[in-house]
Amino acid sequence: MKKLINDPFDMVEEMVDGFLSANDDIVRRVGRRSIARVASPIDGKVGIVVGGGSGHLPAFAGYVGHGMADGAAFGNVFASPPARPVVEATTAVDSGAGVLYLYGNYAGDCLNFDKAQDQCREMGMDVRTVVLNDDVASAPVEQADRRRGIGGLFWVFRIAGAKAEQMASLDEVFEIATRANANTRTVGVGLTSCTVPANGRPTFHLEEDEMELGLGIHGEPGIKRQKVAPVDDIVEAMMDMILGDLDYSGSEIALSVNGLGGTPAEELYVVYRKAREICDANGLRVRHKNVGEMVTALEMAGTSISLVRLDEEMSALLDSTVNTCMYKKP
Amino acid sequence: MPTLTGDSVRLLLDQVAIDVESNKDLLCDLDGEVGDGDHGVSMTIGMRAVRRAMDDLAPDPSVEQAFQAASDAYAIEVGATIGPLYEVAFAAAAQACSGKADVSSVSDWVQIYQAMFDAIQQLGGAELGDKTLLDSFHPAIEKLASLEGQDLVPSLEQAAVTARQAAEATKELKPMKGRASRLADRAVGYQDAGATSLAIILESVAAFAAHVRS
Repeated sequence: MKKLINDPFDMVEEMVDGFLSANDDIVRRVGRRSIARVASPIDGKVGIVVGGGSGHLPAFAGYVGHGMADGAAFGNVFASPPARPVVEATTAVDSGAGVLYLYGNYAGDCLNFDKAQDQCREMGMDVRTVVLNDDVASAPVEQADRRRGIGGLFWVFRIAGAKAEQMASLDEVFEIATRANANTRTVGVGLTSCTVPANGRPTFHLEEDEMELGLGIHGEPGIKRQKVAPVDDIVEAMMDMILGDLDYSGSEIALSVNGLGGTPAEELYVVYRKAREICDANGLRVRHKNVGEMVTALEMAGTSISLVRLDEEMSALLDSTVNTCMYKKP
Repeated sequence: MPTLTGDSVRLLLDQVAIDVESNKDLLCDLDGEVGDGDHGVSMTIGMRAVRRAMDDLAPDPSVEQAFQAASDAYAIEVGATIGPLYEVAFAAAAQACSGKADVSSVSDWVQIYQAMFDAIQQLGGAELGDKTLLDSFHPAIEKLASLEGQDLVPSLEQAAVTARQAAEATKELKPMKGRASRLADRAVGYQDAGATSLAIILESVAAFAAHVRS
């Protein structure tokens, strides 16, 4: 696999250096693997700290800025950060109003963020956590606590971030993040593998004519490997899984089509077209949308579709302005 | 009988780090079948940090200090799941060696391994049979405990053989923890990467002890 890297074991450090330099109007360095908004801590505001393995940009650090997160911790590629950078980011964004952790449900992230949370609480900070688990394909609905967090975390960051921007209390931000997560579902499909730089070889192998339904954002195999089909058929299968998992009828919804890193925007719009058609046919009122790369998996080709069942408050919060490192909306 | 002092443990952990890194590709391949393909990378990052920590130790460290430095290295550098797990494991090993000038008997190593095992199980919450590193560690410790009073080197070697066999036997198990657990039945038939790296570590410890003896 050809990659624009130096020593693969230096890639994350060098990426963080470049990321900070390119976004120095929005973020500043806190530690070797932690960043915070330039102005943080913001007086009276609940701080939101996000993070996870590298390899998913814009997630996670790309969403630090006005209207989403206040700080982020970088892990190695596809590996949770240790507790230390999470503690550093927490300390940097805590104004005294408390800090909320938002991250995807993976064993490593849970271990390291929990450890950071314990350490910060011992230092007297008020820290709470909402673990995100929107991936329908990763466990049955009765075992939702085993589901992974994937593309839908974009919407939870947005909704919780907008609420925190209104100077809501930690209880309120925690509550709406929990609600947004509970009402978000995502299904992904992968067309190719990806290569962790320090590994140097593709994580797994898919035949030229194969795709994997339910593929995770680290290349974890999904639930079903099948022949590639016309995109309308793929989107129908994905939407069936989402709409079968949560009753969206009668609600306004947010709809996003996420690129995994190796699929052109053109194809994502073809996916969106069909997903939207299915929403319309089911009488779902699509109020908010986003098409593009939100949570990637290095250079993996593929997409994920996310649907959020909105209530009035969540919908209104999504009208607010955003100005983060990698996502902006006036 | 080799005498394993604190400085020996420093050199031992350095050798373990080299041996784990030389198996990076194998460990990534095993993980890639059912997980996210980075186990060899995470272990290599951790073990490189361990090597730096061993280099930075003051001369003639105690056994406890050598293990604790390895724990600190994992805590600061690694993250992922194995970062916290090996952090607590090496810290438990350090504690098990508190006050000891050397760790040269089978019973010393039963204590070290058992302390590491308990710490990993407590933090990770896995049970035996969940297809994790505990499944190669547990039978190896049982084997070693059955050899108490005997020569250290052949005992460590037998424990390592047991760990390797048990790692291979994880092929039959269904994963219940970590990323692979979402795959359930599809992961049966694949050897667990964490159980394999643990076996590599035990093999490396045995080889080092044999080298010290010679």
